[in-house]
Amino acid sequence: MSALRGPRSVADLAARLKGRGALETAIAAAGRRAGETGDWVEGADALLHAHVGEVALLAFLSAVDNSDGFGAVGIALADICRETNARMALAAIEAWRRLGRPGWWPALTRLAREAPESFSLGLNQAGAALAASDESGFANFVAVGLKAAGSDPTRRRRFFALEDPLARRVLSGGDTDGFAANERHLVAFVTALLGRVPFLRPFPAPAGRAPARRVSIAEGVILFPDSYPGVRAEATKRLYQAAAAHAAAHRMFGASRWKVGSLKPLQIALIGLLEDARVEALAMLRFPGLRRLWTPFHTARPEGGTAPSLMARMARALFEPGFPDSHGFVVKARQLFGEADLTDPSAMRPIGGLIGNDLGQMRVQFNARDWTIEPAYRDDNLGLWDFEGEPPQSSEAIDLMIDAARVRQEEDDGRAEPSAATQSVGRARPMPAAPDEPFVLARYPEWDRAHGVERLDWTCVRATPPKTGDAYRIDALLDRAPDLRRRVHRLARSARAGRLTRLRRQAEGHDLDVDALVEDAVRVATGDTPDGRVYRANAPRLRDLATVALIDVSESTGEANVLEMERLAVSLLGDALDATHDPIALLAFASDGRERVGLTRVKDFDEPFGPAARSRLAGLEAGLSTRLGAALRHAGAELKRRRASRRLILVMTDAEPSDIDVTDPLDLVEDAARAIARLKDGGVDVLGVVMGEGAAHRATRIFGRSGYVTVARPSELPTRFADLYFRLSRR
Amino acid sequence: MTKIAPKFSDAVGAFVIPSEPYYRAVGDEIAVYEAAYRERLPVMLKGPTGCGKTRFLEHMAWRLRRPLITIAASEDMTAADLVGRYLLLSGETAWRDGPLTLAVREGAICYIDEIVEARQDTTVAIHPLTDARRLLPLEKRNEQIAAHPDFQLTISYNPGYQSAVKDLKESTKQRFVAIDFGFPAPEVEAEIVEKESGADAKLARLLVLVAERSRNLRGHGLEEGASTRMLIHAGRLARQGLPLKAAIESAVVLPLTDEDELRGALREAVDACLP
Repeated sequence: MSALRGPRSVADLAARLKGRGALETAIAAAGRRAGETGDWVEGADALLHAHVGEVALLAFLSAVDNSDGFGAVGIALADICRETNARMALAAIEAWRRLGRPGWWPALTRLAREAPESFSLGLNQAGAALAASDESGFANFVAVGLKAAGSDPTRRRRFFALEDPLARRVLSGGDTDGFAANERHLVAFVTALLGRVPFLRPFPAPAGRAPARRVSIAEGVILFPDSYPGVRAEATKRLYQAAAAHAAAHRMFGASRWKVGSLKPLQIALIGLLEDARVEALAMLRFPGLRRLWTPFHTARPEGGTAPSLMARMARALFEPGFPDSHGFVVKARQLFGEADLTDPSAMRPIGGLIGNDLGQMRVQFNARDWTIEPAYRDDNLGLWDFEGEPPQSSEAIDLMIDAARVRQEEDDGRAEPSAATQSVGRARPMPAAPDEPFVLARYPEWDRAHGVERLDWTCVRATPPKTGDAYRIDALLDRAPDLRRRVHRLARSARAGRLTRLRRQAEGHDLDVDALVEDAVRVATGDTPDGRVYRANAPRLRDLATVALIDVSESTGEANVLEMERLAVSLLGDALDATHDPIALLAFASDGRERVGLTRVKDFDEPFGPAARSRLAGLEAGLSTRLGAALRHAGAELKRRRASRRLILVMTDAEPSDIDVTDPLDLVEDAARAIARLKDGGVDVLGVVMGEGAAHRATRIFGRSGYVTVARPSELPTRFADLYFRLSRR
Repeated sequence: MTKIAPKFSDAVGAFVIPSEPYYRAVGDEIAVYEAAYRERLPVMLKGPTGCGKTRFLEHMAWRLRRPLITIAASEDMTAADLVGRYLLLSGETAWRDGPLTLAVREGAICYIDEIVEARQDTTVAIHPLTDARRLLPLEKRNEQIAAHPDFQLTISYNPGYQSAVKDLKESTKQRFVAIDFGFPAPEVEAEIVEKESGADAKLARLLVLVAERSRNLRGHGLEEGASTRMLIHAGRLARQGLPLKAAIESAVVLPLTDEDELRGALREAVDACLP
């Protein structure tokens, strides 16, 4: 670029712009304001070379003053112009003049360079990003977007248009009042009401569409909007709670799904509203307090004649017996609803058909696509319908059906990726999501080595349903190694110790040891020297250990018998700890990109290591990649829920983290090391059992010098386990 | 039936239950216990806390006209705490019977509450009493006491959650006849709450509805759901004129959990039950 650099002063510039009217004047004015040789000259020169156009150049020149930094601004703008076009550069200048942030240029030029198609979208979000934090917040937003969407322009556009929930989260600086913040609370609330634990999940925004605004119930999963935009933070909590209670009412009193048949969209919507009123009425009979929760959201007034307002009026009239509404349609709906047997789940369908016809005859317009159910706490009612059986008659109903299908499909937003690459991995199922689609268990951050920050919610851990194998294989495995088995058993027993051990005959303690006291007195009486240690004390001792064994089942473990050794090690461990009643959970993990870190539960803490668990262990197959950090974080989260004085994660692995969307394996090595450091801060011990030789270098990096043992042959297992237990007790 | 109070020594006289404690039978537990007592078989009462195990035993002791000696087991309890020990009395050692020994000698019902809390080496002290021998060895005195013909041993045991860590030894468990106590059916529980707290029938039913909410959270954040005892407490507070919401908050919600989120959710679920 320096070769192109021509004029070093205003005079040179002016000479080149001679005869271009406004520009010539602007240069002269800028020279007067900012000095003839300031670095702005360089910036203006760069812009001139990049052919940003007269308007942009004028805008730049009129911004110039006698402070420093305009050279860099000009060069950045020129870069943006080259990567995108002059219009973008102009937009950037205008935004910059409006927002006045000198520090945002590196992020902006990066965006132009790496995602030119999303530049204007990203620029539009700059204001929000800067308002939420500062330039570094914006730079982070851009970095996350580029990293998350990779080389897929469609996904990048989604991200920078804020259609990706991740983008909204990053922009809002993590969420404080969205679904995530309320999730635990809602789960407990619904569990208390229902008596079983519901599956609550955030509703991923469908590609290219606005984020969900209502709850949706699909396949037994209750999907919640990520946030309720436009609702005040303190009201959001109540809204989530009202929505959860409504979904619970559907679960308590709802019936199986209805066939759509020849119903019109308006009728479908009305039947949904009637069903809402029915399940709510029954729920309030049982839980009268729910009325207090729902009432504030019924804000419809007895006025307005459009279909949506009439429907909202009907919803309120059915909910609130005292609501004064004399509109013929509302009166009729109320009367029919009042006469119906509410305990009959099929009672609402004929009523909806009837009043739907009435509303149709009133010639009010109803557009299913634009309609959103009111009040806001209700769900979209798509879960009531079975669209699969017969093809719907009208185009709107088809729209509804497609939306319904999308709900299920988008459950897993990793699937939104249309590329053939995901299919080539050889997944058994085609694109449309099946009911057994793995559930999202949690999202975890990941360490971004290049930028030195932790990326929030970067990885998604999903439950992979276990395959079952032949449980006798595990029995045989154990039977073939009776010696190993006995030794590991002995080891586990000896490592077993009490939580609080009572020590007697202590020199000091919290209580008198009466027996020791009496003995001492006897000694005194018989002329002996008393011992003097007459107290009792409590001392903690190692015990009460909860363990998670993480089993790496990635493709690489298929080689050199690594998986078989892991299986034997886990069998020995499970068998031994089962006998000592130490809780141990066995989790196998393999990943397929950051969105699908699969976790298979081979055995839960309280489950015995019986035939079921053994058959799941036998069913483990090697495949996919190793995202160790995410698996570790999840194991840690599971352990945190256990009440135990010691918590341990044992990682059976070949210590070769890798994943399809990570080019440098060192990223994952470092991420795993960080995950371990965090776990240790939280009081969880992590020890590696590294299978195979020659992995020592990476293992040291991940687990630390004394945090792992290597096992080359099965016969070494007991000695290595002994070694591990020794390390554990030494800490 | 007229009952003639049998004569007991001063040592156990204080343990006699003078009047009938209220107990609402839920199943055949009274018949089972009576049969076990007639055969002098040791009994194990299983069930969550506050579901009426202790009350049941008080009722049975009254019904069988035996003194009831209760021992609350704890981690710190030693075999000497059960059996007895030498004490120093004016410069000389003197043997002092423990509560178990007292019951064995005098023919009382000995009730060891929450036996899992005791250490396993303490628990084995009761073994010789629970089989055909019916003996209590006092090693320190080189003595064996044969149990009084009316002596009976009953333990309570809450299987709870951390059963892997705290569990009875198989060799202990298998010596007992077990009676399982769950929470009674809602109508029965409401009847009990009504009777014990003086609340009216409507309030009692509501309290049971509240209890169900908390029991739904058992294992999902809560260690245990609200016990019948808690509901009785809430009913009593309400009888004292406390607003219902405050009564439930103090008697049920606050004692159950210290965790903010869970407490919030429980409070809201309770609120959903209130008219």
